[in-house]
Amino acid sequence: MGWYDRWRGGLLAIGLALAMAGAACSSTADGAKAYPHLVITGSSTVAPLAAEIGKRFEQAHPGVQVDVQTGGSSRGIADVRKGNSDIGMASRALKTTEQTLLPFTIARDGIGLILHQSNPVNELSRQQVVAIYTGQITRWSEVGGLDRPITVVHKAEGRSTQELFLHHFELDNRQVKPHVVVGDNEQGIKTVAGNPDAIGYVSIGTASYDASHGVPIRLLSVDGVAATLENVRNGQFPLSRPLNLVTREVPTGVAKEFIDFARSTQVIDLVEGQYFVPTAGG
Amino acid sequence: MANLLAAQGGRPLRDGLADLATWLGVTLVAGSALWVVADVIWHGVGAVNWGFVTTAPQDAGRAGGISTILVATFLVLLVCMTAALPLGLGAAMYLSEYGRGPMGRWVRRSLDVLAGVPSIVFGLFGAVFFVQVLGLGFSILAGGLTLACMVLPILIRTTEMAFSGLPQEYRAGAAALGFGPSGILLRVLLPAAAPGLVAGLILGVGRALAETAVLIFTSGYVDRMPDSLLDSGRVLSLHIFDLSMNVPGGDHNAYGAAVVLLLILLVINGIGGWLSRRWIGRGIVAS
Repeated sequence: MGWYDRWRGGLLAIGLALAMAGAACSSTADGAKAYPHLVITGSSTVAPLAAEIGKRFEQAHPGVQVDVQTGGSSRGIADVRKGNSDIGMASRALKTTEQTLLPFTIARDGIGLILHQSNPVNELSRQQVVAIYTGQITRWSEVGGLDRPITVVHKAEGRSTQELFLHHFELDNRQVKPHVVVGDNEQGIKTVAGNPDAIGYVSIGTASYDASHGVPIRLLSVDGVAATLENVRNGQFPLSRPLNLVTREVPTGVAKEFIDFARSTQVIDLVEGQYFVPTAGG
Repeated sequence: MANLLAAQGGRPLRDGLADLATWLGVTLVAGSALWVVADVIWHGVGAVNWGFVTTAPQDAGRAGGISTILVATFLVLLVCMTAALPLGLGAAMYLSEYGRGPMGRWVRRSLDVLAGVPSIVFGLFGAVFFVQVLGLGFSILAGGLTLACMVLPILIRTTEMAFSGLPQEYRAGAAALGFGPSGILLRVLLPAAAPGLVAGLILGVGRALAETAVLIFTSGYVDRMPDSLLDSGRVLSLHIFDLSMNVPGGDHNAYGAAVVLLLILLVINGIGGWLSRRWIGRGIVAS
């Protein structure tokens, strides 16, 4: 037996003690930060854009740190109300119950209905969409397609896309009979791309990007208006939403600087880079 | 085959069916695992190179690499294991050596309940307790500690099983040789139970690495290089989830990151196996 064997018990004990001390120390550490630190939480749709704007803002303002956290619009609103964040993100207009908060629109986004590329249906009327989502029409042959069952892809409760969709088609969520419930836009697109009989609705920017990169999906017109970013930009497309930064009070200091920056022409390329429609400069 | 059929009547057909079913089951399980791995590697291996591992993500992760994500992942894992390992080891030793009373039953029952709790519940708990009540904010520390709560039940139960699986003679023999209770535990039982312990640790690490729901609300979404444990940091699995589900055009790098995650898991498994073999080789029991 070498020295290692003789001392192993002691070494182990010391190691355990050190590990425990480390755990104890780290859990009592102080959470305060010395430098300006902007916490932004909310919509997962806005989060990648806000994070990119944050990086550019940090470069222009050395020492400032912009932390963007995702989790959904509802969370963004709740956090900014409770003061857990400096700025909230919401991918929709504020509701009547949220009028005490202040919205700052940094971009717009449209929501379009998508089908699988192989689906021969070219247009759906408002009544047909409502009938499909409420389960009154269950086969594509009833709306001019193949004799196959329709797979209805719906978004999860609390998603802004879902709220806007329900609002536009004047539906109550309890009336909707979905076969698949999805979360983020890309998940919706992947679901429809993988199922020739599916219908879903997602962000137009995301859908046109994917469609132009070989993903087998197709955007339908809504109320006779083609689902393009151009029609969202000129305001003709009926199903569109603002992407908002939200504050509880009139923003001051770094928060104000950030919001002004996010609404300026300095970030137009970033907005377009995330496939949204810029609102700055026009 | 024909001889067998002739000799045993109906039996071989039944045996053959059982054989077939077994093989089918094995092939299905192994095949689907292989399919997943092959799919990830097929799509992702083109994205992985030295630059991918050493540069920070750009353009929401579509461009650039995953260096900051890797650092955050390792830090979260480090915090998690630093907190969970001593607690888990201690609890497992207690349960297997002294935990036969009502106290032990109570601890076991609560561990079973904890093990069945969905990870999002741990995430919400962490978001309230560590992030808000303890004021750690969105931070690697908060994420690691929440994760520690989540892996503790697996860690404790596997380690406890390793201890209680040891023959009673080890304890009696060691006591007869004059070892005290701590000596028995640390010098006889611990080395002998090492492989089980390492298995538990690896299960825990694997679960921790795969976790997104817990970390989205605790360690957070920020993909900057963390300066300290109090900075928010995005972990690898959350990065993969965001790239594939939320960022149009993020699939390529999502697959790349998934390949790296697979590699890390393989390496950790390898190290675990090596450690436990080495530990047994040197252990009192084996020598």
